[in-house]
Amino acid sequence: MNDFSVEASGLTKYFGDFKAVDHVSLAVPTGSIYGVLGPNGAGKTTSLRMTLGIIDPDEGTSRLLGGLKPQSVRGRIGYLPEERGLYPGMKAREAIAFMGALRGLDWSEGRRRAATFMSELGLERVIDEKIRKMSKGMAQMIQLIGSIVHAPDLIVLDEPFSGLDPVNQERLEMLVRREQARGATILFSTHVMAHAERLCDRIAIIARSARRFEGTVDEARALLPMQVRYTPREQGDRAAVAANLPAGAERRDDAWHFAIEDSDVEPLLARITASGHGVSGLSISRPALHDAFVHIVRQVDADFAADATEDAIEEASA
Amino acid sequence: MTPFLRNILVVARRDFLAIVATPSFLLFLLAPLFMVAMGLAGGMGASQLADSARGAGRIVVIADAADVEALRAADRRLRDTFRGSEAPPQLEVRLVGAAPADPRIVAREKGADTYAVMSGPLAAPRIVERNADGSSGRYLALLAGEVLRDRAAGRVAPAAPRFESLQNGGASIAAQQSIGFGAVFVIFLLTLLLAGQTVSSLAEEKGNKVIEILAAAVPLESVFLGKLLGFLGVAVLFIAFWLAMAFGGGLIAATQIDAASLAAAGKAGKAAGALASMPATGWPFFLGVGFAYFITSFLLLGAVFLGIGAQAGTVREIQMLSLPITIFQVGMFSLSAAAASAPGSGLARFAQIFPFSSPLAMAARAATDGDKAVHLLALGWQALWVALVIWLAVRLFRAGVLSGGGNWKFWARSKGR
Repeated sequence: MNDFSVEASGLTKYFGDFKAVDHVSLAVPTGSIYGVLGPNGAGKTTSLRMTLGIIDPDEGTSRLLGGLKPQSVRGRIGYLPEERGLYPGMKAREAIAFMGALRGLDWSEGRRRAATFMSELGLERVIDEKIRKMSKGMAQMIQLIGSIVHAPDLIVLDEPFSGLDPVNQERLEMLVRREQARGATILFSTHVMAHAERLCDRIAIIARSARRFEGTVDEARALLPMQVRYTPREQGDRAAVAANLPAGAERRDDAWHFAIEDSDVEPLLARITASGHGVSGLSISRPALHDAFVHIVRQVDADFAADATEDAIEEASA
Repeated sequence: MTPFLRNILVVARRDFLAIVATPSFLLFLLAPLFMVAMGLAGGMGASQLADSARGAGRIVVIADAADVEALRAADRRLRDTFRGSEAPPQLEVRLVGAAPADPRIVAREKGADTYAVMSGPLAAPRIVERNADGSSGRYLALLAGEVLRDRAAGRVAPAAPRFESLQNGGASIAAQQSIGFGAVFVIFLLTLLLAGQTVSSLAEEKGNKVIEILAAAVPLESVFLGKLLGFLGVAVLFIAFWLAMAFGGGLIAATQIDAASLAAAGKAGKAAGALASMPATGWPFFLGVGFAYFITSFLLLGAVFLGIGAQAGTVREIQMLSLPITIFQVGMFSLSAAAASAPGSGLARFAQIFPFSSPLAMAARAATDGDKAVHLLALGWQALWVALVIWLAVRLFRAGVLSGGGNWKFWARSKGR
């Protein structure tokens, strides 16, 4: 047993000529909550599928739960696919027990746990209701329960929050934290940054088929300079105020907005204090994960656009 | 229980319950009832037609008064040789001189089908017959010859034969072959009715996206085998239901039989006779091995259809596939039927070895060949092929559908994601 529940290295997948996933590596520490972030169509789902051995990678390997092949530890893994699917004719309790049974859980134990889970999540009214009578969000919660009912060591959730109302999103976060407390490792993909920011110990950002960032949420946020919002007490001489601030400072309403490097914080404070314009409001903060994410994705897109232009120029000159 | 087997059973259980616990299953279960009802109606109609037509047929001899009695006696004697439908039509003897004398006019008389008319002297009769190939004219000629021979030789005392039944002395080869053919037909019919369903069985999972849950949780081999097993369960339930119905019906019929219907005893005796003509391996073994061959036949064809159906992207494709599949089954049936009627031939050997006709052909062999050990070999061989087909189907499914290679497959929508 080592410290990583997921060790995927160099995963690559072609769909025809299109390289859907390009040498993506994931290392998920045991007991952590790990987020795979990326825009739509970046290759998140395909990466997760290859990690779990549902589809075979063209290159690269995936080892789970201490160096084991994905196929040999199926019973210790829980998986919520992006394309939600349940048998519509099955009752919720049976559907959950069925998914547990597929992973090796006893049927009666599965039914018992299904009832417990559903009561906890406010679904006790529909325990014996058929799936086809449920709303999409409810069915999704059922499927989520089904993928963790056997108390797996590794839980992989593909876009678990999409399609849920805020209350259920909250419940899901609670559930994820509880599973972590139980000792499980959670790997999930999303393109909603708020959840990742709140939940994840580490994240990986995938864009344009390849991994573009790996680290903690704070490390991601540190990629961008800090954002300053400064409101001088005396609004009189704008040019004089602007002279003390870095170039590019923007005035909206009464406040000035600009970015500064970490090393510039103290000099800035000194300059502002010395200027005599006073301070009625000042905030210096890291940008949210959202901004870091958009920044990274834009950069990748810009590189691609540049490549495309270069190609076009080469073609034109050829 | 190994995890692999347990996975199979989990999938099989789900499929079995999902099929059985629907109203449409009742319709499926009772479908043969419609067939039986239609068959009965059709059969009754046909037999009524035949009844009304029978008895109206006749053959006519226009003879001298001196010959009438001799002709009638000869007819009685000869007629005794024929049984059932082979018997010549009713003989009508007319005296010469009664109008009309022209046999053609007699033949065209209304109110009866006249097959042949004989007139003139017995030594050189003139026979007018409806069918040149028919036996009625020949029968009349035989009759004339018989009368002449009687006259020339005088009355000969008829032979006094003593008939002994061969029934218990061993079954005839023809009977065994027809038992073998019957086995081929029954297995074919059941497989045709029941195994074709498997072609659409993976469509459900593809449609509701459950396939990814299954593919993630258990090996695809156990998904395929589980589905096959689920369908086999349905098929066995279907057969058991109708066997129970037939048995129950037989019991009720048995209690209804009373002295008045002892006339039917002759028929029952015949049925008992057919039963007595044993298949070469004996009834219990034959029935048991026949059931085993039904299962392997079902699994083999079912696995092929499942594999083909798994590749299909839409319901329409599945519908298009059902024709080649039926033709394939009929082909296997024809091959096995030909093999059943020629035991020991090269064709039979081929049909017994070729995996998809093997269950049918081997069932037929059990009727004609007493060797029992060979069936164990055949069942093992067929089971091996079931495994091989499943293995191949899973390979194709993984390579094609699960990888999103082609653009007409369902997974292709996740392309580039």
